[in-house]
Amino acid sequence: MRDVAIIGAGMIPFGRRDEDTLMDMLACASLNALDDAGLGDQLVDAVYVANVGGGMLQRQTAIASSLADRLSLLPAAAETIENGPASGASAVKNGLLAIASGYYDTALVVGGEKMHEVDSHHATDFVSAMTHPQAEYLYGITMPGLGGLFARLYMEKYGVTREHLHAVTLKNHAMGALNPYANFKKPLNDKDIFDGPQALVNNPILADPLRLYDLCPISDGAAALVLSTVDIAKKSGRPYVVIAGFGQATDTHTLAERADPTELKAVSLSARKAFAMANLKPSDIHVAELHDAFTILEIAESERIGFFNEGEGGDAVSSGKTRLGGQIPINVSGGLKARGHPMGATGVAQIVDIVWQLRHELPENRQVKNAEIGLTINFGGFANNVLCFILRRVEA
Amino acid sequence: MKTVSAFIAYQCKRCGRMHYPFHDRCMDCKGREFEEVKPQGNAKLLTYTAIFSLPCGFDQRFLILGVAEFEGNVKALGQVKADSVDQLKVGMIVKSSWEPIRFQSGEDVYGLKFEPLE
Ligand SMILES: [Zn+2]
Repeated sequence: MRDVAIIGAGMIPFGRRDEDTLMDMLACASLNALDDAGLGDQLVDAVYVANVGGGMLQRQTAIASSLADRLSLLPAAAETIENGPASGASAVKNGLLAIASGYYDTALVVGGEKMHEVDSHHATDFVSAMTHPQAEYLYGITMPGLGGLFARLYMEKYGVTREHLHAVTLKNHAMGALNPYANFKKPLNDKDIFDGPQALVNNPILADPLRLYDLCPISDGAAALVLSTVDIAKKSGRPYVVIAGFGQATDTHTLAERADPTELKAVSLSARKAFAMANLKPSDIHVAELHDAFTILEIAESERIGFFNEGEGGDAVSSGKTRLGGQIPINVSGGLKARGHPMGATGVAQIVDIVWQLRHELPENRQVKNAEIGLTINFGGFANNVLCFILRRVEA
Repeated sequence: MKTVSAFIAYQCKRCGRMHYPFHDRCMDCKGREFEEVKPQGNAKLLTYTAIFSLPCGFDQRFLILGVAEFEGNVKALGQVKADSVDQLKVGMIVKSSWEPIRFQSGEDVYGLKFEPLE
């Protein structure tokens, strides 16, 4: 297995992008990443496109072939990767394995989703389609609903409080407000959302005990990476990033069937595999992007990865350990909560953000000082298919 | 669509492990033969939620859902018959029934409902 480098990263702002088609977004993010990689007019060997809703929302399939054509990357190999909300990381994994194996030298990995194609009821139904057809979907359960079932279990077991969840919301919205690519660019006022007389109006319960501001928004967006061999990366003459560790694990399709759903076994297993491959431990990580589709998940994942002991993730957020400048800054981008969660884009966007961190390119109010090692968790279904990446900065 | 007339769980004929929903191989011993069992009666409510943003196909303001555990270690999601989550508690006993849970393509679809007993 050869080492694999990331030599290009690009994104387009997440949010409501009525003026763009899905293909426009994928193409734009791809060109940003190709330009960043300095590939100019050059081709890549392979294209991996992460997308979930093309068939259901846009009535468009075989998106990767279409993108290769639009970008005039022919005759590059091309595949669309659909793995629910973990599609982005799955596409990156495909690029990683293809280059590590020696078969390809360069790959474009891009993820994108246009969720505002349909109204919110249909978008909710689209997202719910990943649940078990008979044992979950038929009952009307939604992903936030599964989040609510999980949150109640986790909060009761570990004493996580509403204040802990608020702390995640406030931190991630504060960071999103500084991120030009974020869906929500507005810091939240404590009084409007949590304490004031209008709190329950502004921040209603949507999936008890989770409220509106505990949930990620419905977003459009795209993000892209260019992967290559280390030999190619070295020629760029600037610092680059290598994929030091990778791990993936699955869990039961339904949440109910797990012996203890709070365990998030696929999260801990995927992280353990990534740490073993990178020969690193949780305390070696300088910055992390976790899959905070719901606030409770950021807390739970931070414990299952091993950043904090079981039951200590809530206090860690409240005491500032996970903010910029803290012990382990988590979701400095704003996370899924504020950057947004255009499904296929998310896993790629998380890695784009870590690449920018490790190349020390972000403005001071978003840059984790001297960050050299970063981690991502991209989580599919309700934690039934999880991918973890560990990335490391390499000096030019 | 095939109408299912009762809640059915699947017990591995080789090692006895209970499964719900159906798996083609036993999660423990990988056995492929299962006995259909029908968990009925009371169950213990393990967790619950009320969702206020419903997918298309549900014409109501909110929906209460819960996971309950039957005797024999079968756990399943169901709709909860309650007016508010304030009437619910983790660990409470609920009575299960098999009733219409949604209306689809002109017919009722049946599934699990849980009714608090306390
Ligand atoms: Zn068995």
